[in-house]
Amino acid sequence: MNLGARRMTAVGSEDEAFEALFTAEYGRVAGIANRVLADPHEAEDVAQEVFIDFHRLHSATAEYAPAWLHRAAAHASLNRLRGARRRQKREAAQALEESDHTLDPQKQLEVSEDRRQVRQALGRLAPRPAAALAMRASGLSYAEVAQALGVGIGQVGTLLRRAEAALRKEVTRGTSN
Amino acid sequence: MAHLTEGTLRRMVDDPDARSGADAAHLEGCTECQGRFEVVSDDARSIATLLAVPDTRVDVGRAFEHVMSEWKSQPALGFRLPMLGPTNRPLKLAFVAAVAAAALVVVAFAAGGLFFQPTTVKTVPVTVADMQALSQLADYGTLTWTKEPQFQATTSAADASALAAGLQPPVVANLPDGVSTTVTYGAMSEAVATFTFSADKAAAAAARQGKTLPAMPEGMDGATLTVTVGPAVGEIYGNLNQNPSSASANSINLPQLIVAKSASPTAKSTQVTVQQLEAFILAQPGISKELKAAIAAIGDPSTTLLIPVPVEYATSKPVTVQGVDGVALGDNTGVGSGVVWVKGGNVYVVAGSIKQSDAIDIANNLK
Repeated sequence: MNLGARRMTAVGSEDEAFEALFTAEYGRVAGIANRVLADPHEAEDVAQEVFIDFHRLHSATAEYAPAWLHRAAAHASLNRLRGARRRQKREAAQALEESDHTLDPQKQLEVSEDRRQVRQALGRLAPRPAAALAMRASGLSYAEVAQALGVGIGQVGTLLRRAEAALRKEVTRGTSN
Repeated sequence: MAHLTEGTLRRMVDDPDARSGADAAHLEGCTECQGRFEVVSDDARSIATLLAVPDTRVDVGRAFEHVMSEWKSQPALGFRLPMLGPTNRPLKLAFVAAVAAAALVVVAFAAGGLFFQPTTVKTVPVTVADMQALSQLADYGTLTWTKEPQFQATTSAADASALAAGLQPPVVANLPDGVSTTVTYGAMSEAVATFTFSADKAAAAAARQGKTLPAMPEGMDGATLTVTVGPAVGEIYGNLNQNPSSASANSINLPQLIVAKSASPTAKSTQVTVQQLEAFILAQPGISKELKAAIAAIGDPSTTLLIPVPVEYATSKPVTVQGVDGVALGDNTGVGSGVVWVKGGNVYVVAGSIKQSDAIDIANNLK
């Protein structure tokens, strides 16, 4: 019962454990959200909400903490992506932000349009393949993706392969419409 | 050897651990697989390009301060549940329902003046919309802990009892077959939270959502509600170290059985009567007709603890437990069930991934 022994510690050390977890994982959690949303500010909003939710319900010493955070980051940001109102706001903000760049406005516009279409396509995928893509693209290892999704490591390649095929199809569908 | 699967080929593109052993040897000597590998790897590269974003630069220290200040400004009416995994949506919702229950206790019930202390339980149906409507109430004032709950798990009943002001953990007479005998004791100290209504905050919250605020009773601005919960003690059966990444955790990530006992919650208000508050809360936009009707039907609200039952996810029925009225939730599938009753000034809960008949049996034999 090492868990029981761990919980014997005071609430103060729970806070310390949470800070250590935050320091170790915040960048990765925000990275996953940014990969989905392509918006660093909104990605940090999502990351902070995820940590608050985690802190409310779970112990920072739980072994599943990093896997929980990674999965929650992917799903929370995918949910945001699907929220139409927020998407419009984000696109307006992105357009504004990117119009600040003076380097080749035509190129900027194309990049922005591509990103928007890819995110729309990502939002149309089933949650699990979309989460697998976002986590892997943001640099999580195969083992970490497997843990976050609760699947065997051998299944991650299959999930990614199917997700990539589905994303390609959705992007093509989006651009041909 | 059969040709490599698409999944294996995909993994070989960018997982160094996959580039050895029999699969790697096969790829080396198989032109067909080499051709497929090229296709898979081109696809992977082009998708990676599509998903590319500029690197995020985060200020971890500032983000942590922000999270902690948000966290402290919104004390939750609950405590951390280390056993609640991310995969179990109905049970997460049940927890949300429990928080909503606390909100209902706060707002709705105390005939006979301004005091509420339940002696029996009844269920009321709540919808996700109800929970959302109730959660908006947090915007109508300020919630502060007068006394914060401390939750700890210990390996001995005596330690748990010490934290819970001497409340003894209940003893299970017979565990059903299949339930682990590994037990962790849990304890929560008494907690007191005070909610202070603010007319300004309520108006601002309504304006943000483009809604009109229901008329506030006289004296509502600055009125307080103080809720006391706990102390509580309990036993948790099952392996709490279960890792959600293990195969079985995909469906069940909970202890098998929780048995808990808590001092009955109490609530009191100042400046307005609880009946006025009840009317105000039930007038909020988003509260369902079913919930209003169920609350209106409660015979003596001053003595009834309401158990919100999410209509989409759970079923309930009245049962007799240890000679008093109780409520049984869930079903006989073994996926999840629970029994709640109030006796001798304490609220008792038996819940877990067990059959309802087993839960009732444990409840009746609890010592």
